[in-house]
Amino acid sequence: MKYPSMIKAYILITTYVGNLKAVLDEMRKLKNVESIAVVAGDYDIIIKAKVNSLEELMELTDQIHSIKGVKRTNTQVIEKEIEA
Amino acid sequence: MRIRKKYLFYVLAILSSLIGAAVTVIDTYISIEYKFNPWSLCLAIFIAGLVITFFLSLILSIPFGGKSIGARIDPSFKRLRMLKKEELKYHLLAGMGNAVATVGYFLIISIYQEPSTILAFFEVVILYLLMMESIAEKNAPTMAEVQASVIVTFGAIMASFSFEGEINLLGLLIVFLVLNPAWVVFSIYQRKLKIMKINGCYNDAINIRFWNLVFTTFFTAILVYFIDKENFFGAIDILKYWHLFFISMGITFFSYVLYIRALGLGKASVTQAVKAFTIIFAIPFTILASNFVPITFYESIPQLILKIMGIILVVMGVISFALTEVRAYIFIKAKTGYPINELLNNVWGVKGITSVAVVAGRYDLIAKARMRTLGKGYERIIRTLEKVKGIEWFEWETILKEWEEV
Repeated sequence: MKYPSMIKAYILITTYVGNLKAVLDEMRKLKNVESIAVVAGDYDIIIKAKVNSLEELMELTDQIHSIKGVKRTNTQVIEKEIEA
Repeated sequence: MRIRKKYLFYVLAILSSLIGAAVTVIDTYISIEYKFNPWSLCLAIFIAGLVITFFLSLILSIPFGGKSIGARIDPSFKRLRMLKKEELKYHLLAGMGNAVATVGYFLIISIYQEPSTILAFFEVVILYLLMMESIAEKNAPTMAEVQASVIVTFGAIMASFSFEGEINLLGLLIVFLVLNPAWVVFSIYQRKLKIMKINGCYNDAINIRFWNLVFTTFFTAILVYFIDKENFFGAIDILKYWHLFFISMGITFFSYVLYIRALGLGKASVTQAVKAFTIIFAIPFTILASNFVPITFYESIPQLILKIMGIILVVMGVISFALTEVRAYIFIKAKTGYPINELLNNVWGVKGITSVAVVAGRYDLIAKARMRTLGKGYERIIRTLEKVKGIEWFEWETILKEWEEV
C-alpha cells in the first residue's frame, strides 16, 4: 500500500496576554513549519505545519505546548488543498 | 530559512537588477569597443553563454557542507540534471519566447543608430504581464497593483528614453508585437517552471536557467540562420572573443537565477516592475565605464531631468507594490450533509481566495485570501461568501505579519 508522504496541518494557537513576542521568537525556531502568521481574531498565531507522519505532528504540537506563554492549541489536519 | 517572503522577493529581484545593470554596461562596452555584426553577436553570445552556464552549473553542483554549493543561491538546487518530461513543453515555449525576444532586440539594434529611444518602450512589458495575469491567473492583480505597474512603466520609459534616436512605426511594431509578447511568454513559462514540483520539491532556478539557454540557443540559431545566413557563420568567427562573452553571460547567469527565484515567489508583472531598478543601478556602472569608453548616463540636461523624474516614479511605484496587500485566514463550517468537494470548489471560485484546504477538526475548510484593503475584503470576499451555498458560518482572522519557509 502506498502511504501519502507528507501531512500538512494548521495549528491555531492562543497565547496569554503579554507573551506574543516571546512565543513568536520561540516558534520561529521550530522545524517542520511552513509558515507562521500573527493574526487578529479568535486566535493569536496560525502555524502551517508540514510533517512526514502523524507522530511528527504530535511531536510538533508537543513542542508548541511546551513554549511558555502558549495557552491553547487547535490542530486542523489538511485532507485536501488547492493553491493558486 | 524562515523569513518574510515579501522581503526575500524584493531582495532577489533587486539583486538581480543590480547584477543585470552591470551586464548592461559590459554589453554596451563590448558593442562600442568591438563593433560586432549584431546577428553574429546575437548567436555567439548564446553559444558562449551556454558553455559558461554549463560549467557554472557543474561547479554549483559540487557538494559542500552536506548540500551543493548552488543550494546557497537556490535552496531547491541539488545538482545539474536531465530534463523531466513534464518540463519539456514549458522549456520549449520559454526558450522560443527568449529567442524571439532576443531576435526582436537585435533587429532593433541592427536597424537603429540609437536604439534606446525605441527600446524604452520595452518597459510596457510590465503592463502586458499584468494583462495576462488579469486574464489567466486566479490571483488577479488588485487596482493598487495596476496603479503601481503603470507608475513603474511610465517611470522606466522616462528614465531610459533617449532624445537622440527616432521613433517610427516599424520600431514600435517590433517592440509591441515581437519583443514584448515574446518576453511575456518567456517570463510566464519560466515562472510556471519555477513553481512546478519535481519529485515532490520545487524546481530550481539553476537547472531552469541552463535548460532555458539550451532551447534559446537552438531557436536563436534557427532564426539567425534564416534572417542572415552570412552572419550565422560569422558567429563562429567572433567566438574567438569568448572571454568577453564568458564574462557577460557568466554574470548574466547569476542575474537570471535570482530573477527566476523571484518569479517563483511573486507575480511576473511585479518581478518585471522591480527589475526596472536596473535603470537606476546602471548609473554608477555607466559612470565607471565612462573612464574606458565614450558613454554617459545622460545626453542633455532635459534628458537628465526626465531621467530623474522617471527614477523617482520607479522607486515610488515599487514601494507602493510592497505596501498594498492585506491577507487573511477564513475558517469555514459547512452545513451538515452538504458535499464538501462542491463547497471547496465554491469557495475556491471566490475572487481573492488564494488557497483552500479541507480540514479535519473544528472547521471544515480553511481558506486564505489576499486583498488591497480590509474594506475590499468585506465587499469582495465576505459578501460573496455569505451567498455561497453550503456555508453554515465562517470566522475571519486578519494576518498582521507572516513568515514563510523559502
